[in-house]
Amino acid sequence: MALRELSSLEKFLGSNKPNKYRTQGDKKVPVLQNNKGRPVVGLVTIACHLAKEAKRPELVGDSAESRAVVQQWLEHRITKVDGCKKEDIKTILKDLDHYLQDKVYLAGNQFTLADIFMYYGIHPLIVDLVIQEKEQCVNVTRWFNHIQHYPGVRHHLPHIAILRNSIYSSRQH
Amino acid sequence: MKLFVSEGNPHCLKAVAALEVTGVNCEVQYVCHQERAVPFFDHPVLPAMLLSSGMYLFGSNAICQYLFEERRKESNQLCIQWLEWEATELQPALLQALHMAVLQGKGSEVSKVLQGPLKHLDQSLIKGNTAYLTGETVSVADVVLWAALYPFLSDSSLGLGEQKSVKTWFDRGAAMHGFQSAAQKVLQGKGLQGMKSYMQMQPAPQSSQCRDTQPCKS
Repeated sequence: MALRELSSLEKFLGSNKPNKYRTQGDKKVPVLQNNKGRPVVGLVTIACHLAKEAKRPELVGDSAESRAVVQQWLEHRITKVDGCKKEDIKTILKDLDHYLQDKVYLAGNQFTLADIFMYYGIHPLIVDLVIQEKEQCVNVTRWFNHIQHYPGVRHHLPHIAILRNSIYSSRQH
Repeated sequence: MKLFVSEGNPHCLKAVAALEVTGVNCEVQYVCHQERAVPFFDHPVLPAMLLSSGMYLFGSNAICQYLFEERRKESNQLCIQWLEWEATELQPALLQALHMAVLQGKGSEVSKVLQGPLKHLDQSLIKGNTAYLTGETVSVADVVLWAALYPFLSDSSLGLGEQKSVKTWFDRGAAMHGFQSAAQKVLQGKGLQGMKSYMQMQPAPQSSQCRDTQPCKS
């Protein structure tokens, strides 16, 4: 999973030749073999490294504040969303929904790695939602739909149909 | 800017330590463990930091990173790598170790659980051959790991002093005034027992985490 995400990120960043990765340990932590120096270990660390190599530092955040917000959501993704138990899914989506109430992207008004990797991470949760559940988290589904249509992000994941919010659907009746 | 913390919460120790070490000017409010300091969460999340822009930070590592960036420079790749390791590899082991030592009274078994991560840390310090984790100056990675390991490494009765490089590195942090003052504020000089009320509110570690962190018996 992690390697596919990194490969999609590379395509998003428009890199010409794919990097070589391996995984280590039971948790299959991704490792980027870097011929220049020490290996780069971990999904978040490699993603930030790739963004900087591609001269896209704004994806990691362009101020101390946005960098901290981006790191926080990336950590949230790998510690709370990954491997979450079924009973935690509701809380994860509800928290995210409240958070996104007044935001376009996770770091506010700027698209960052946090959006890409939270999108990859919650894709399996959104796939399983029925329409009513999607309607209960309109902010998440709005953001999710926005990110899946963001140029060059979706790659390895199937598109998920998101209905418009209940105001629109009730008009059709 | 305002930092919300609770006494005896090991994650809050990280944030208070980063605040003391960086000397950033920030109001600190002590609240109870159940305080919902972050408005968009229905459940308590501490530490939390309200930034001057109105944004909230709710991850202890992100708060530490922010405080360091306020004072010094951007976290480099090695810092980010250590913070990721701390969150994904060290924390599950620490949670289990805290559960054993604080609630089950099995302090003698803690070394088994922490052996793997401490060995990794030791080898990295030997290989890097620098005074601190990412070079010759204190970085956010040092403060986060010192604070995370503090309850265990400052308790000599647990028998965790085997790794010499870890010990030398840890003692450098423990000797810093800012760090001592943070430990005193958050743990009140009670060490592991200072975290009892916090641990009693935490769910028991998942059995899968127990499996992951135990050495193979092959």
